[in-house]
Amino acid sequence: MPALQNIFKVASNDKLSPRFHRLCIKSKPLIKDVKPGQFVHLRVRDGLEPFFRRPFSVYRNKKHLEVFYEPIGPGTELMSQLREGDDIDVLGPVGTPFSMPGKNIKQVVMIAGGIGIAPFLMLSDVLKRRNLDLVLLYGGRTMGHVYPMKEFKENGCKIFVATDDGSVGAKGRVSKLFSKINKDPKTTMLYTCGPNPMMAAVQAFAKKYHLKGEVACEEVMACALGACLGCSIRTTSGFKTVCYDGPVFDLDEVIFD
Amino acid sequence: MKISVKIGKAVFKNPVTIASGTFAHAEKYYNLEEVKKLGSLIPKTVTLRAQEGNPPPRIIETPSGMLNAIGIENPGIDTFIENKIPSLQKIGIPLILSILGHTDKEFIQIVEKLNQVKNISAIELNLSCPNLKHKTLVAQSEKATARLVRSVKKISKVPVIAKLSPNVTDISSIAKAAEGAGADAVSLINTLTAMVINTKTRKSALGNFTGGLSGPAIRPVAVHMVYRVAQRVKIPIIAMGGIMTADDALQYILAGASFVAVGTANFVNPRAPLDVLEGIKAYMRKNKIKDIRHLIGKVES
Repeated sequence: MPALQNIFKVASNDKLSPRFHRLCIKSKPLIKDVKPGQFVHLRVRDGLEPFFRRPFSVYRNKKHLEVFYEPIGPGTELMSQLREGDDIDVLGPVGTPFSMPGKNIKQVVMIAGGIGIAPFLMLSDVLKRRNLDLVLLYGGRTMGHVYPMKEFKENGCKIFVATDDGSVGAKGRVSKLFSKINKDPKTTMLYTCGPNPMMAAVQAFAKKYHLKGEVACEEVMACALGACLGCSIRTTSGFKTVCYDGPVFDLDEVIFD
Repeated sequence: MKISVKIGKAVFKNPVTIASGTFAHAEKYYNLEEVKKLGSLIPKTVTLRAQEGNPPPRIIETPSGMLNAIGIENPGIDTFIENKIPSLQKIGIPLILSILGHTDKEFIQIVEKLNQVKNISAIELNLSCPNLKHKTLVAQSEKATARLVRSVKKISKVPVIAKLSPNVTDISSIAKAAEGAGADAVSLINTLTAMVINTKTRKSALGNFTGGLSGPAIRPVAVHMVYRVAQRVKIPIIAMGGIMTADDALQYILAGASFVAVGTANFVNPRAPLDVLEGIKAYMRKNKIKDIRHLIGKVES
């Protein structure tokens, strides 16, 4: 078992689109163990600012451990300045992975909003080996929130996009794309990750048609090890931690405020 | 090199402990051989009945620290004894159990239950959690602190520690009251009541409105409080407040602490308690100090 916490080297750190970046970490010991839906808790530099580590879904585990991120605050801004050969302190991978769709499932629909697409590339890497109808429904605010998604295409995903302003794909929320989902509870499985209102919409849709699904949640986190109980969210069975009980939960379990 | 320290009759092989509420799931995540090297472990505070804790958001990052308002989420003492203590004891590290009653009577009931459990090294009375909507904390009154410590001391089979609050005019008077009532040690400091306001929403950043500040931001305040308390009491002091490194811990020891507890640092660096322990030993070797007691309270004025 690899150590819980390791210092690794940055392999590359590229801007994939005006908004989204990809950090590749040379972390061989972790690549074999990590499963889709799990995350790593990163510390970009020593020192006290920023104080917390930052949690990121693992985007891919091919040659390197890959993290897909959007610089939106001091922590991610610092991360965007990392260059090849720099050190990065990696805790993890931790958290619950997605469960794999059962044998009777024919269509897998991944529903992502913005940076919520991060955990789905590795999921599609795993699922492409099965004879499934892989669908990605992606919602972003504008064209700037959409990126090529080349790897998803290579994995055989059918990609449908919606933007709030209609600059790419359908105009409106990602719920505009729900017509692509087969409403058969026996053969359809949903996975979703994104802003809470979007995941709540997926949950309501799934409930209406009795579809099974899973949701990957995000919260501000301190420890990522289930110790501080800081990242608790409401579920149908009380508070649960996103870091330890999640980040993947049953779609019908989470109570979105 | 002698680094063992005592609280009442309990002996600990070294002075480094893990502070309450900052460590869990050891069997899944930690190398237990390493955890075993520490002097003791203080698991998260337990109450008489299960508590679900405060509404989210429960934490926020602050300059060199964090605010938390978890609200002592815990399964209650019965479930804790049945399900958690066995796995904690498996680690093979002395346990100091942190408990909180909402009344004196609840404290007594919890201690009575713990009296039935073997292999507990000490009990820490959490008199100072700022996140429970209590109007005043026990540790904000000399009288209430003395009364509670006295009644727990009467029945507890193990040494009793009073965990004190920094949210007072003079923490050394409260420590003195605890000592007078028979406390075997005091631990300080719990978090400082604090708040962060989100200017976009014009609301508090925390679901509980206020929270407790911890981390390196509070360390100089806490070091001073430990120094002040050390001037007034003879019982051992367990010091906590933003210890990230051995140097931080040594400041507390020089100020008068016999024990140091690593808390918030665990969230950033799970190895911090071990690093602190190794660093204290290295400092002692380098300065040719044979017994840690020759460092305790040795700040020069």
